[in-house]
Amino acid sequence: MSDINGLKEIVRAENLKKTFSISRKQRRIEKTDLTRKVAVNGLSFSAYGGEIYGLLGPNGAGKTTTLRMLSTLIKPDEGDAFVMGHSVCKEAARVRDCMGFMTGELKLEGFFTPDYLFDFFGAMHGVDKATLAARKKELFTRFGIDRFAEVRVADLSTGMAQKISLVVSIVHDPEVVIFDEPTNGLDVLTAKVVTDFLLELKAMGKSILLSTHIFSLVEKLCDRAGIIIDGRMIAEGTLEDLCGDLSLEEKFFEIYHGIKGDVL
Amino acid sequence: MKLAALMRKEFHRFFHDPRLIMTLLMPGLFIFLLYSVLGEVIHETEPAKYDYKVYLSGQSQIVSILENTVIGTGSSIEFLEVSSSEEAIDAVEKGEANAYLIFSENFDASFDAGATVDIYYTSSDVDEGTGESFYALANSVLQTCGMRFSIVPHSFLTQESLGKMIMKSVLPMLVVTFIFSACMSVTLESVAGEKERGTLTTILATSVRRSDIALGKILPLCCIASLGAASSFLGIAFSLPKMMGISFSVFFQSYGFVSYLLLFLSIMGLVPLIVSMISTVSAFSRSVKEASAFTSVVMILMMVLSLITSFVSNVGDWAVVVPVFNSVFVMEEILAGGAPVLLTLAAFGLNLVYSALLVLLISRMLSSEKIMFGK
Ligand SMILES: Nc1ncnc2c1ncn2[C@@H]1O[C@H](COP(=O)(O)OP(=O)(O)OP(=O)(O)O)[C@@H](O)[C@H]1O
Ligand SMILES: [Mg+2]
Repeated sequence: MSDINGLKEIVRAENLKKTFSISRKQRRIEKTDLTRKVAVNGLSFSAYGGEIYGLLGPNGAGKTTTLRMLSTLIKPDEGDAFVMGHSVCKEAARVRDCMGFMTGELKLEGFFTPDYLFDFFGAMHGVDKATLAARKKELFTRFGIDRFAEVRVADLSTGMAQKISLVVSIVHDPEVVIFDEPTNGLDVLTAKVVTDFLLELKAMGKSILLSTHIFSLVEKLCDRAGIIIDGRMIAEGTLEDLCGDLSLEEKFFEIYHGIKGDVL
Repeated sequence: MKLAALMRKEFHRFFHDPRLIMTLLMPGLFIFLLYSVLGEVIHETEPAKYDYKVYLSGQSQIVSILENTVIGTGSSIEFLEVSSSEEAIDAVEKGEANAYLIFSENFDASFDAGATVDIYYTSSDVDEGTGESFYALANSVLQTCGMRFSIVPHSFLTQESLGKMIMKSVLPMLVVTFIFSACMSVTLESVAGEKERGTLTTILATSVRRSDIALGKILPLCCIASLGAASSFLGIAFSLPKMMGISFSVFFQSYGFVSYLLLFLSIMGLVPLIVSMISTVSAFSRSVKEASAFTSVVMILMMVLSLITSFVSNVGDWAVVVPVFNSVFVMEEILAGGAPVLLTLAAFGLNLVYSALLVLLISRMLSSEKIMFGK
C-alpha cells in the first residue's frame, strides 16, 4: 500500500485482463462470429481512502467484469488487483473480509427479516456476537431500519429493502465497498436512498468503488472516475482533471468519438 | 460456526413456511389414501362366502364356536383329518387346504397354563384370500375367548393375485417418485432459486468456504426431505395391510420388525442421494425453470428405471452399486418377503458415499466462475 499525496491507496488494479469464450447462443444474440470476447483488456487504476471512485462506461464496457474480479468472484486471466494490499488472486479470503460487495438489483431473500439477515451475514463474515449486536443497533438506528427490523424484506418498500441490502453489505465493517450499478433500475426516490447512503458511508470514512453508465451519478458522488470503453481505461483522474471546463457528458462523447469515429 | 449459520438459515426458511411443510407431507397421505382405496376396491370384489378346508388336530370347545361363527357369516367349513403333521403343513403351503389348526394337548383344561394354538395358513390370494380370511376369523374368535393362551400364526406367503402384484411392483416406483418430488420441492427453490435471484452471489462474496456453502445447503435439505420420505414410509406401512385386506398387526407379524427397518433404511438412503443430485443439477442451471426442466428429465429416467426393476426378475446383487436403482431393488426384495440385511446396508452406505461425492462436486461448482457467472 503506498501513499500518494497523503492519500491511502485502497484498491489497485494492475493490468487486469479477462477473456470469455462465447457460447453459441450468446453469439447469436450479439450477432457476432467471434468465439472469444475480451471483456477487460489491460485495465489499471487506483482508488484512494475516503473517496468514491466511479467506473463509467457504456453497456458491455467491462465494468461488471472488473468489479467481479476485484471482489474475487472471478479470476483475472492476467494481471492482479490489490484490495487493502491483499491480492485478489492469492488472498481471496482476506480480500472478501475487508470488502463489501453489492449489486444494484435486490439480492436479499425476501423471506427473511432485516434482523435475521444482518445476523446471518454477520456470521458469514465471522463477526462475533457482541460486535454484531452493537453494530446492528448503530446501523439500524442510523439508517432508520429499527422500526422494520422484524418485517420480512418482501413486505418492505423497495427503498427500504434496498437500504437493508446496503446495510447488510457492510455488516462486517469493511474498509471498501464495491458497488455495481448502484441505482440501476431504481426510481428517483429509491435511487436517492442509495446515493444518500453512499455519501453517508463516505462520511463514515469508507472508500467506495462503483460502476455506472449514468454521468450525473458520477458528478454527484464521485471524487475520482475512470472511463472504460471496450475493456480499456480511456481516461482517468479526479473529476476536475478529467473534465476541465466541459461537463462529464461532453467530455465522454469527445473521447468516445475520438476512438470510435462518428458512429453511434 | 459459519456452517451452522448456513444450516440454520435453511431450516428457518422451511419451518416458517407452512405451505412447504404441507407439500412435503402430502405424498405419504397420498400413498395411504390411494392404496387404501385400491385395497378396498380389490377386496370388495372378493366373494364374501368361502368354503374353508381346515386341518384340525387337538380338541377344544372353541372349534364348535368357530364353526358356528363361520356358518354365521354365510360360509361353510370342512374339518379334515390329519394323518401326519408334515402332510397337513404341506397341503396348506400348496394351497390345497386353507389352514391347519393345532390345539395343544388338554387345551380347554389348561387355558391359563401354557395352552397354545398354532395356525398355519397361506396368505396367498390366488385362491381369493381364503387362508388370510380364515386366519383373521379364527384369530378374532380365539381372542374373544380370552387371551389366556397364546396364538402362534405361521403364514406362507405364496403367489399373489395379479392386482396385488402390480400394486407391489409399482410401489417402489411410486416411492421413488414421491421422494423425488419431496426433494425437488425443497431443493430447486433453495439452490437454483438462490442462484437465479443472485442471493447466492452475496454469500459467495463473503469469506465462507465453498464446501461449507455446499454442506450448509445439502445437510438441512436432506433433513427436511427426510420428513417427506418418512411420510411416504408411514403411508406405505399403514396402507399395505389395507391393500392386502388384513389387519395391521397381522401384517406386521408376517413382515416383521426387521423388514420394516430395512424398508425404512432403503427409503431413507434415497434422500441424500436425490437431494444432492437435484442440487448438482440446480447449481448447474441458470434459473429455477431450467433446473426444473432438467430435473424432470432425471425424474422420468428414474421412474423408468424403477419400473424396469419391478418387472425384470433375477437382477443380480451387482445392482446394489447402481445409485437409486439399488434402493428400488432392495425394496422389491423386502416387499417380496425377504430380509436382505447386507444388501440394504450396502445400498444405504453406497448411496451416502455417492451423495458425499456429489457434495464435493457441488463445492467445486461453486468455485467455478463458468458455472456461477457464465452467460
Ligand atoms: N460470463 C461471461 N461469459 C461470456 N461473456 C461475458 C461474460 N460476462 C461478460 N461477458 C461479456 O463481456 C463484455 C463485458 O461485460 P460486462 O458485464 O463486464 O459489461 P458492463 O460494463 O458491466 O455492461 P453493462 O452496463 O451491460 O452491465 C460483454 O460483451 C459481455 O457480453
Ligand atoms: Mg454490468
